[in-house]
Amino acid sequence: MQLQLEKRLHPSRLMLFIVPIGAVIMTMVLGAIIFTILGFNGLSAVREIFLTPIINPLKWQDLAVKAAPLIIIGVGLSIGYRANVWNIGAEGQYIVGGLAATAIALITYEMSGWWILPLMAIGGIFGGMVWVFIPALLRTKLKVNEILTSLMLTYVAVNLLNYLVFGPWKSPFAFGQPQTILFNEWQTLPYIIEGTIVQAGAPIAIIIALLAWLLMSRSLFGFQIKTVGSAPNAARYGGFSENKTIWLTLLISGGLAGLAGMLEVAGPFGRMVPQFPTGYGFTAIIVAFLGRLHPIGVLFAGIILAISFVGGEVAQTTIALPNAAVGLFQALMLFLLLAGDVLVHYKIKPIRINRVDKGQMGAKKQEEII
Amino acid sequence: MNIDLTIAIIITMVGASTPLLLAALGELVVEKSGVLNLGVEGMMLTGAVVGFAVAYSSSNAWLGILAAAFAGAAVSMIFAFLTLTLSANQVATGLALTIFGAGFSSLFGQPYTGKPIEIFGSIFPPFLRDHPILRVFFDYSPLVYFSLIMVFIVWWFLYKTRAGLILRAVGENDISAHSIGYSVITIRYGAVGFGGMMAGIGGACFPLILTPQWVEGLTGGRGWIALALLVFSAWKPARLFLGAYLFGLIATMEVYAKAAGGIFKILPSELWASLPYLATIIVLVIFSLRHKASSSAPACLGKPFIATN
Amino acid sequence: MQKSQNIMLELKNISKSFPAVLANDNISFAVKSGEIHALLGENGAGKSTLVKIIYGIMQPDKGEIFWQGKKVHIANPRAARALGIGMVFQHFSLFEAMSVLENIALGMDKKISNRILEKKVQQIMQKYGLLLNPKRIVSTLGVGERQRIEIVRALLVNPKLLIMDEPTSVLTPQEVEQLFLVLRQLANEGCSIIYISHKLQEIKALCDRATILRGGKVVGECNPKKETSKSMAQMMIGTSLKTIKKSKKKKFADIGLKVNNLSLKKQGDFGVSLKNISFTVRHGEILGIAGVAGNGQNELQNVLSGEIVLKDNEAIILNGVAVGKKNATERRKLGLCAVPEERYGHAAIPDFSLNDNSILTARERKNMVRAGMINIKKAQDFTKKIIANFNVMTTGHAASANSLSGGNLQKFIMGREILQAPDILVVSQPTWGVDAGAGSAIRQAIIDLALKGAAIVLISQDLDELLELCDSLAVINEGKLSKPKKVGDMSIEEIGLLMGGIHGAVPKESSSKIKVETDAASA
Repeated sequence: MQLQLEKRLHPSRLMLFIVPIGAVIMTMVLGAIIFTILGFNGLSAVREIFLTPIINPLKWQDLAVKAAPLIIIGVGLSIGYRANVWNIGAEGQYIVGGLAATAIALITYEMSGWWILPLMAIGGIFGGMVWVFIPALLRTKLKVNEILTSLMLTYVAVNLLNYLVFGPWKSPFAFGQPQTILFNEWQTLPYIIEGTIVQAGAPIAIIIALLAWLLMSRSLFGFQIKTVGSAPNAARYGGFSENKTIWLTLLISGGLAGLAGMLEVAGPFGRMVPQFPTGYGFTAIIVAFLGRLHPIGVLFAGIILAISFVGGEVAQTTIALPNAAVGLFQALMLFLLLAGDVLVHYKIKPIRINRVDKGQMGAKKQEEII
Repeated sequence: MNIDLTIAIIITMVGASTPLLLAALGELVVEKSGVLNLGVEGMMLTGAVVGFAVAYSSSNAWLGILAAAFAGAAVSMIFAFLTLTLSANQVATGLALTIFGAGFSSLFGQPYTGKPIEIFGSIFPPFLRDHPILRVFFDYSPLVYFSLIMVFIVWWFLYKTRAGLILRAVGENDISAHSIGYSVITIRYGAVGFGGMMAGIGGACFPLILTPQWVEGLTGGRGWIALALLVFSAWKPARLFLGAYLFGLIATMEVYAKAAGGIFKILPSELWASLPYLATIIVLVIFSLRHKASSSAPACLGKPFIATN
Repeated sequence: MQKSQNIMLELKNISKSFPAVLANDNISFAVKSGEIHALLGENGAGKSTLVKIIYGIMQPDKGEIFWQGKKVHIANPRAARALGIGMVFQHFSLFEAMSVLENIALGMDKKISNRILEKKVQQIMQKYGLLLNPKRIVSTLGVGERQRIEIVRALLVNPKLLIMDEPTSVLTPQEVEQLFLVLRQLANEGCSIIYISHKLQEIKALCDRATILRGGKVVGECNPKKETSKSMAQMMIGTSLKTIKKSKKKKFADIGLKVNNLSLKKQGDFGVSLKNISFTVRHGEILGIAGVAGNGQNELQNVLSGEIVLKDNEAIILNGVAVGKKNATERRKLGLCAVPEERYGHAAIPDFSLNDNSILTARERKNMVRAGMINIKKAQDFTKKIIANFNVMTTGHAASANSLSGGNLQKFIMGREILQAPDILVVSQPTWGVDAGAGSAIRQAIIDLALKGAAIVLISQDLDELLELCDSLAVINEGKLSKPKKVGDMSIEEIGLLMGGIHGAVPKESSSKIKVETDAASA
């Protein structure tokens, strides 16, 4: 690769916007080519995955349902990533949030009242926070890398879920199926638009994104997070505590993942099942990056990734494209975004080949060329 | 505990340790050169699915291993290009590689689900590999011996060769290495490629010698445990070997817990399944209590390098 | 004195530009064999860029290089070494976690067995009196010893030209003497030396010829032995410097900052621990803290600013209030502002706007925060005031900090702290790497602040600066601080000895003895 990078004096604001859009477009182009090579109908794969969900109004409600948890988790992760705090175990926090909400639902099964859902939400948030508490404690007290601990706990969360739904929480009416009893009407999210499947998750996601935007752009706390992430020494000099920032950002991201878990279990699922971990926690990592770690960007990125999920289901039925293809498209999108990011901070210049005197060729080695 | 059971446990432990050891040795070289590739899990999955597909189609496990090494190295080059040439964030790119590996293996492996394959087992004559006692030395796949030889080779390379000295220097102080005249980026490309190769082979251990069949996501986070092992080992090959075998033993407990009876029977199987992950966290904690984790890590780990000219 | 007419190296019309600056503008000069040739210039004059081109680290945009009369292309340092060019860097290119011998082996282009290499190293160390233990890990060595590794490494390839980039900036006066002996011995053996410095006395003492750079151009060439320091300084700086206005007779008010037996365990592997540091600074007084880099200056700065919080609350007292346990924000509210040494990433956030950089430290004293929300208008007004009052060259308050040149960013940072009207200011290396104009403006601002009654601690490695600004002076060495004295009561020699860790009066004729002692201590 004969390229040379030249650092820009200012990060390019234009590129900041163009690169994510370009990454999505390039994903469609490259995806079509790759899937054609793999022996699928590449063009229809791209059409079904990326366009059908937008063109077909019947799919819009699916988009809202899928986008909500992605946005809620993605907003939380992006706040942490801004501070260089790498919680990648959101999937585990999502599961435990769902489990905590389920526990409250099981306890209150015989009861009724408007207070049950808020209580479940608090339980979900609390569950996510509990699950991120260990990585936060270990990172701040012992400098143990939160990437590894938060991810390890995700595997533990899956086992915890299995233990509960196969064991103590198994419904007696499920004919041996590993699942809990169906939640009652006070424990299930209401539909906010008549005749659709859109529940309270979607508006909550929008409110959270807006609140996070206010927090990150105008509050001292947002300033603190950005400073700790951008220049830790300067943050200390400015009087910001790194440990406090790590605690708060981890608790926020864990709490939001837990809330997403509650909204899922009390929404689309309606009960706890072994299929509850759907990978939202991992996809939200892509959402956070594609959204440029900005709450409003995350809002749009969440919708784009939701499109690919819904489109993947469409493609599965219409052109028999395996569902796993969606994951590949999403990874491709993240790769292209990261590759494109170089344009934000650098100008790319083609390298100029210097003419070399004879006898110097042996010594010439272009390590200045990147 | 009788001798047969002991030998069975040892053999299971060695098998479970091998993929971890291979992937961790590869990542050791990567991190010694100053690069943090969090995509080990993704490279293992890629190696696993390609290794299985080739071994299945050609009925030749050796070809499968070769293909797995190649596939692991190939996907590691995506990471290398993004982080080294385009200086993208290494943490994010490593995560992307893991997501990619999961998607790729799940798509590519779908047609192979449930297909039978002959286990890539011991190549020693039956009187050795089936001997009730001696099998503890001989009843292993060639990959097991390969991984043990690699412990020595990686150690020898890093600490006894000039190339290893230069690689460590690049990880220790990339700017100085560049100013002396070493090509930081080229050396890192090589290290990342080696890491990809080893992770690919490590991944291939699962469908070829452990399961032995294709199951989606069969590496179960071993790539991440390999990363934790590096911290635990303070980036030293011999301790890496010990760590991998310790984890192999813990993973083995899940298999034998139910057979053992007593207290083991009461505890739910999910707890045993969680044990390797909990042990990883505990090991990280113990390590950080004893050492300052940062002090033994290569000084440039995870930092991008941009040559000036 | 002309040892030989043979031209070793000649540069013709070398130019090199970077995005923001033209670092080298049509530079031509020649070095004869056996000559010690000074490249003299201020920080930012283009000296370092020029030698990086000679050593093959950078490629010129334009121009030609001739080596012993033949045109050459030096593609990389390896090619430079193959020609016979060695270089000792200002910031050592050493590998902290590796041994001395491993470090030297890394500098060799060919593989040599450890035994033979160790033998060769021993020979060179004997010949030039450069004592080192090859098995020691670099992180355990002092600065002088580290430089010796670099010199040994460069000498192993039998260089015909040795480049020394600001070699004395981190050395004690005694270590400088020793280094000069080695360089003179080398020159007598026919090796040419390019000696980069901005220290005039050194150049007069050592060099045969000097090429003077300013703003990337050659502005003169001279024989330094025939010039006065003043004439060379004028060539180097160009315009005559503003003299600092400083009233001779000062009376100080009550104590502003009192430090009592302050101790700190070292942070991390490469830190320095502070041992029983005590001093007081009165309002209106400037206390200078001299010392060679890496002797605890950064730790002291961070402890005073509140970036590192102490266990002993009484160790630091601001206007009678014990603050050892308080963090930086709380200390700022009590009137203590600080400027750390590193501008990019410590005193300022490089990727953030100047506005945001104002919020970083001025938010409390300038009331920029209400109910947790930032008042952006107030931050902008304050930033504009800094830019205007301190003459910061920038596109405006929304420009990012890393778009400013080093000198302008430093003016911004100093302005940000001074305009908060601090009662106590702790500042490190305020003019390091800053052009002459900005440097004198910053020094004047420090003096003016003291005149207004602030108590100031000035930590610097620049002795001239300290002598010029300070009322009293102390020296830090290995985390210990000497007893502060009035500036007029200290001789340069005494300061030098303190910097080298030698306390108490030393008889005059004993300078050779000191050398032996330091060698023995380091071996």
